[in-house]
Amino acid sequence: MIDPAGATLVEAAGALVRGELSSEELTRDCLARAHRLNPALNCFLRIEDEAALAAARRADAARAAGRPLGVLHGVPLAVKDMFYDAARETSSGSAIRRGFVGTTTAATLERLKLAGAVVLGALNMTEFALGPTGHNPFYGACHNPWNPAHIAGGSSSGSGAAVAARIVYGALGSDTGGSIRLPAAANGILGLKPTYGRVPRSGAMPLSWSIDHVGPLARTAPDLARLLGVLAGHDPGDPTASRRPVPDYEAALGAGVAGLRLGIPGNFFLDDVEPAIAALVEDALAVLERAGARRVAVTVPAAEHLTELGRTVVYTEAAALHGHWLRTRPEDYSPQVRARVATGVAIPAAAYAEALQLRALLLREFCTEVFSACDVLVTPALAIEVPTLAATDVGGSASMWTTIARLLKCVAPFNYLGVPALSVPVGFAPGGLPAALQLIGRPFAEGRLLGVAAAYQRATDWHERRPPLG
Amino acid sequence: MTRARHEAQALDAAMVEALARLVGYPPLGAETAARIAAGASHAVAAVRAMATHSLFDAEPGQYLTELERLADPPP
Repeated sequence: MIDPAGATLVEAAGALVRGELSSEELTRDCLARAHRLNPALNCFLRIEDEAALAAARRADAARAAGRPLGVLHGVPLAVKDMFYDAARETSSGSAIRRGFVGTTTAATLERLKLAGAVVLGALNMTEFALGPTGHNPFYGACHNPWNPAHIAGGSSSGSGAAVAARIVYGALGSDTGGSIRLPAAANGILGLKPTYGRVPRSGAMPLSWSIDHVGPLARTAPDLARLLGVLAGHDPGDPTASRRPVPDYEAALGAGVAGLRLGIPGNFFLDDVEPAIAALVEDALAVLERAGARRVAVTVPAAEHLTELGRTVVYTEAAALHGHWLRTRPEDYSPQVRARVATGVAIPAAAYAEALQLRALLLREFCTEVFSACDVLVTPALAIEVPTLAATDVGGSASMWTTIARLLKCVAPFNYLGVPALSVPVGFAPGGLPAALQLIGRPFAEGRLLGVAAAYQRATDWHERRPPLG
Repeated sequence: MTRARHEAQALDAAMVEALARLVGYPPLGAETAARIAAGASHAVAAVRAMATHSLFDAEPGQYLTELERLADPPP
């Protein structure tokens, strides 16, 4: 019999297959944790007991009838509150979309349900997915289960906190500037921003159609591999979704790292990493070296400009998406998010077009220079210790903007390039909050990144630690 | 005026308010407009820094093709 709060997604799915417990029992256990922990964490905007239990009962009935649904049969998950569902509200963390019900269901949410997942509810997020800390003036900030005075990261704040707190076995998030990887790093779990086009965006709230990525968060590499296998693949509703075949990500987990070249950037990414974080990154690299990997020095071309090139695109597309509301309902935004979505008004159209023209050229240059020297590029996911909510709140400390810039520094560049990037927890800083490594690969090399993460987790036990609120 | 100083002052709060009026936004307020001016200036500066050669033949739609082309062959 498994311990529901200690089991991984793959272990829980296996226990359900073996009939050690029912999906209804597992779902009730998760719901109880959700209700117990949410007052302290505020990771859920809505806990949907009745719908979750009904789905769990359907899963149990299907199994009893000999009709297994899929690889997530009966497993409790949750989704960031920006994936449209024709059957319920999707607020996008905003006042403007409070009560909004989509006309269709997001392709990714549909795929999770078709694979048998039980959705426990809607997870907290930054207003319209614009912000890296998890503050939300309309629904309240999400708190970190390792220390509720600290940020859970954003914008997929609830996704990170709910998985770390062992309320759900995995979650769905989105990443336009680090919004999956930052919450994963801050909460001590894994978060994958897949290659642009690998996972469809149809039915997900758009922030920037050129830069948005949808992806999973989970506690272990096998859990993440299973979720990615369900989520990835072509979708006729998303014109940018790749037709490339979806590999067996779970089969890639045992590849190991013998002979693998880990690229350590000599420019930009390691310039101002806090010493405690640098030490944990060094320890993690040593673990991978003992498993057979070796380090090589690489230079990342144009690294200092990639984030701002991405912002040129994001600001412009966000201003277009929000144009009507910026004209008619500006008071319904928080001042910070209103400023962010309105910034596109001051970006010349020619600069936006040039940023898009440069993208393929810079992607080619990046892949040629970096991946001729290494197989996987490695950076910290977070260059600093996870800050407090107070230090990153509006009107907080004088250094707030510097702190926020440092939160984004290592993750945002890879949204513009569109290459896959995976945040992997590598221990705890002196303050007790998690630290994380970021693995970056060639386009569509998610399997390789998951293989490295799996090798690291086989050699360490950080992913087995439980937070005080969990 | 030096070129650097000229570029740093290329966008200010008043210009942002004018652009906002042009597209029909209500007034942004001085603080928000100044923040937007700074954010947009940083973003556009990066484009200027990287657009060092002609992009006459660069088609943005090539990006998706390039992602597929730069991947390892499917297993």
